[in-house]
Amino acid sequence: MHEMSVALEVCRMAEERLGREALGGVVAVGIDVGDEAGIEPESLAFCLEAVLATPPFHGAKPVIKRLPGDVLRLSYLEVEDAGPND
Amino acid sequence: MPVRTIDVRERVMAKNDELAAGVRARLRAAGVPTFNLVSSPGSGKTLLLERTLADLGEDIDIAVITGDVQTQNDADRLARHTDRLVQAVVTNGACHLDARQVATAVDAIDLEATDLLFIENVGNLVCPASWDLGEDAKIVLFSVTEGEDKPAKYPKMFHEARVCVFTKMDLLPHVPFGVERAVLTARAVNPELRFLFTSAVREDGMEEWYAFLRSQLQPVCAV
Repeated sequence: MHEMSVALEVCRMAEERLGREALGGVVAVGIDVGDEAGIEPESLAFCLEAVLATPPFHGAKPVIKRLPGDVLRLSYLEVEDAGPND
Repeated sequence: MPVRTIDVRERVMAKNDELAAGVRARLRAAGVPTFNLVSSPGSGKTLLLERTLADLGEDIDIAVITGDVQTQNDADRLARHTDRLVQAVVTNGACHLDARQVATAVDAIDLEATDLLFIENVGNLVCPASWDLGEDAKIVLFSVTEGEDKPAKYPKMFHEARVCVFTKMDLLPHVPFGVERAVLTARAVNPELRFLFTSAVREDGMEEWYAFLRSQLQPVCAV
């Protein structure tokens, strides 16, 4: 029911981690969702697809992994690697 | 373009829980016991608070933070029973209060002049269970017009709560609600749960509710 709040918090965490300018380069967002986390994975994927389709994101793909327990965490971010700056 | 993976492994609730811990520290330092009232919509949170403010408000300084999806109706109802600040949080569609909203609401409350704080959460038995607001305890309201199996259907909420207040007990003769079965169902989810049985309309069981609240107050130090 509160999947949209969780999706927005995931976006905030990504921004905190990477900085706003880098969010367009995110290609995948990995989330771990426990069976007892009170989150419906399909609904969370739907909400994440919606927010990740809007700027500053550029269509990153949500990747949800089911786990036992009540874990709910941002597991990883996959970003375009522009290579060394020098 | 090649991609690289950045390990994050951070709990989604981490920021909320950090803010909630800050709220809890402030409230404890000020000696203000705080209860987060949760229930389905229409279980009687606002009426229980109205009665409580009317009956205890002269002896105890009670502040209230109300959360509603839309409108300030609950806050307006409560404000008729108290001179104390009633802080309304309109969530604009969100199905729960979060610690950030409560932290902001607490900023506006004179904690030194407050003995007891209620947070009236959004009516919803699902989402508010997942958000720590910095309260001392969640109190779940369970009206006898609901199904006896609510605790089995919404176990997380009943598991998180410390007290279960049955409401609308005056309607018991008119509804097919087995109190004993409801208590057993709730106990199966949370053996530690404490039960109170009230009718705010007929004022049954309110003394037990007030005795519970008084037992939670910080002792006043003699100067």
